[in-house]
Amino acid sequence: MYGWIWRHLPGNAWVRALISVLLVLAVVYVLFQYVFPWAEPLLPFNDVTVDNQ
Amino acid sequence: MAATADENEATDETTAAPGPEPAERRRRPGRIAQAVSVFGELLITLGVLLGLFVVYSLWWTNVLADRKADRQADKVRQHWAQQKDSGPGALDTKDGIGFLHVPAMKNGTVLVEKGTGTDVLNGGVAGYYTDPVKATLPTTGKEGNFALAAHRDGHGAKFHNIDKLEKGDPIVFETRDDWYVYKVFAILPETSKYDIGVVDPVPEESGKKKAGHYITLTTCTPVYTSRYRYVVWGELVRVQKVDGKRTPPAELR
Repeated sequence: MYGWIWRHLPGNAWVRALISVLLVLAVVYVLFQYVFPWAEPLLPFNDVTVDNQ
Repeated sequence: MAATADENEATDETTAAPGPEPAERRRRPGRIAQAVSVFGELLITLGVLLGLFVVYSLWWTNVLADRKADRQADKVRQHWAQQKDSGPGALDTKDGIGFLHVPAMKNGTVLVEKGTGTDVLNGGVAGYYTDPVKATLPTTGKEGNFALAAHRDGHGAKFHNIDKLEKGDPIVFETRDDWYVYKVFAILPETSKYDIGVVDPVPEESGKKKAGHYITLTTCTPVYTSRYRYVVWGELVRVQKVDGKRTPPAELR
C-alpha cells in the first residue's frame, strides 16, 4: 500500500520523501480539522452529559 | 516439452541470479505475502490513527478551547470595563457571567458561561447548570446552589485538577462588582453520572440539610474517562466588593 504510493511518486528519493511528508501533513490536517471533530461525539470516550449525548 | 519450459520459468523466477529485470521481480511477491503486507500496513495505520486521536483529544482540543476561552474572557472584561459607569446593569449571560478562581487547581481563571451542553463546555469554560436543576447564581443573592460543570480532560480541561481540592480550600467567583469567596466543605470522589441530586439547591449528599449559599463543582472521573463524576461542594463565606484596581481577595494572593 505505502510501497505502491512511494513507487508512484515522481522524482528521486529526496523529492519523494518531501512529497510524502507533505502528504502526511495534509492527512493530519484533514483528520484534526474535519474527521476527529466529527468522530468525537460518536465515540464513547467523552460521554460527559446525561441528556446531551 | 511444455512442462520443462514451465519448470525453467519457475526456476528462473526463484533464483537470485541477475536477470534482465531484478526490480520487476522484487516488486512481485506472492499473493499471500502481498495480502499480509497490506493487512500489516492497515494495522499500523489504525494504530497511528488512534494515536493521533489521543493527541487530538488531550492536546489539540485544549489548544483550541483555551484560545476560544481567552478571546471570550477578554470580551467579558472589556464589557465590564465599559459598563463601569452605567451603574448596576443587567447581567450579561451571553458571553459569560464571571470568572472562577480555584487556587488549588492551579489553572488560572475559568470563565463561567450559561449551560452545560457540550457546545458550551467545549469552549474551554465552566458552565452553570440549567438542567436538570437550574443553578442559583450568586449575583441574585438568593439561597441556592451555584452548580458548575467543566471538562476533566480535553476542551480546556478546566477542572482537571479537581482532585487537588481539599476541605477548607477557597473557591472564588469573580463578577463585575463582587468577589464571592466560598470554602470547600464536602467532596464526593465518585458518583454515577445519573446522580443529579448533587446539584440540587440543597445538596443533601454533602451533608447539608438547610438552604444556604452553596457552590458545586462537577466533572468527570477518573481522569481520561467519563465513567463517573467527581463533586466538590463549597459554602459562601463572604462577599467582597471589587475595588477600583480589582485587587483580588486575600485567598487569591
